[in-house]
Amino acid sequence: MADYVEINVNGVRHRLDIRHKRTPLLWILRDELKLTGTKYGCGIAQCGACTVHINGLSRRSCVTEVGELTEDDKVITIEAADSTIAKAVKESWVQHQVAQCGYCQSGQIMSATALLSKNKNPTDDDIDRVMSGNLCRCGTYPLIRKAIKTAAKSLTEANNG
Amino acid sequence: MKVIEKKLVFLVCFFMFVIEGFAEKCELYDEIPAQGSISEKQGHEYWAKIYEVFSHPRCTNCHVGADNIPMWSGPSYGVTRPHGMNVSAPVIGAHGTRGGSDSFECSSCHTTTNNTIAHGAPGVYNEDMDGEKVSWVLPPVDFEWFGKTSKEVCEQVKDSKRNGGKENAKEIADHLCHDKFIAWSWKPGAGRESAPYSLKENIADVLAWGAAGMPCPEY
Repeated sequence: MADYVEINVNGVRHRLDIRHKRTPLLWILRDELKLTGTKYGCGIAQCGACTVHINGLSRRSCVTEVGELTEDDKVITIEAADSTIAKAVKESWVQHQVAQCGYCQSGQIMSATALLSKNKNPTDDDIDRVMSGNLCRCGTYPLIRKAIKTAAKSLTEANNG
Repeated sequence: MKVIEKKLVFLVCFFMFVIEGFAEKCELYDEIPAQGSISEKQGHEYWAKIYEVFSHPRCTNCHVGADNIPMWSGPSYGVTRPHGMNVSAPVIGAHGTRGGSDSFECSSCHTTTNNTIAHGAPGVYNEDMDGEKVSWVLPPVDFEWFGKTSKEVCEQVKDSKRNGGKENAKEIADHLCHDKFIAWSWKPGAGRESAPYSLKENIADVLAWGAAGMPCPEY
């Protein structure tokens, strides 16, 4: 049995001591890899601040133990969220000046990007269903909803040429 | 018998032996009571115990109906209410399971390890019969138990068209034995109340209920 755990974060493989097998991914991202864009909020998958993508889907990194990941699992954090969809979301976030304190926003952007990768034209209900797991103490929810719709529109227009 | 027929019989027997050899045996029961060895009256008593388990929040919170919304109920929650975060789990994915919506699957929070902090998202490592990892999902909509009477749950459990094709009590017992989501109900951790009795006793009750002819209550 290997005495290490290997994970793939933002396209780079990292070999970690086997003692990290039960360490939450969030701790590795922030303390070991110094990727501090992903935030610690509650630590029990209740707030969504720590959301990253694993194989394109939203995952709460605070409750995802490193040992759960295989070498083939691709972790993407806010620092490397640079797909066409992620870029459109980020631009829309700036356009609508969504962030107030900003603490939850990396998680919000990761969830919004995952949503638009599966649903190109989400309704208010679709947005509420997927984004309700991401809390915002500043109450930026109406702006988040507007920004997601703007990003969806810009992506549709870009696709239609 | 022609040589080719003999070879065919040998091959069939060989593959049956191999399949039987690899079938995972349940360690939680040894003997199955003989059919008819338990009276119908006793069968009703066994079912009453089974229903105590099946109607417990550790089971019913995920055994929900066609709205695909899991529940939060039981001593840990106080007031019964739908699962927070506006979650809904329609059928998605290659296996057609009720595993979340679009990009926000149940397994976004419910991972393969149990969260031992109160109100943290619980999780468990589970595999299907082929050894493939199974993420946290709701049971099929046919298995709706939340708010259902003892009679309704009983009739669903013994109906192979609505119980995942299980033809008898042994097949139900084997399912109880092998599904790690079910086993979690007795080791939920984090101050969550566990299902009553034990998994071993529940399996024994199901087998005894089966030997009594699977009687269901009147209401």
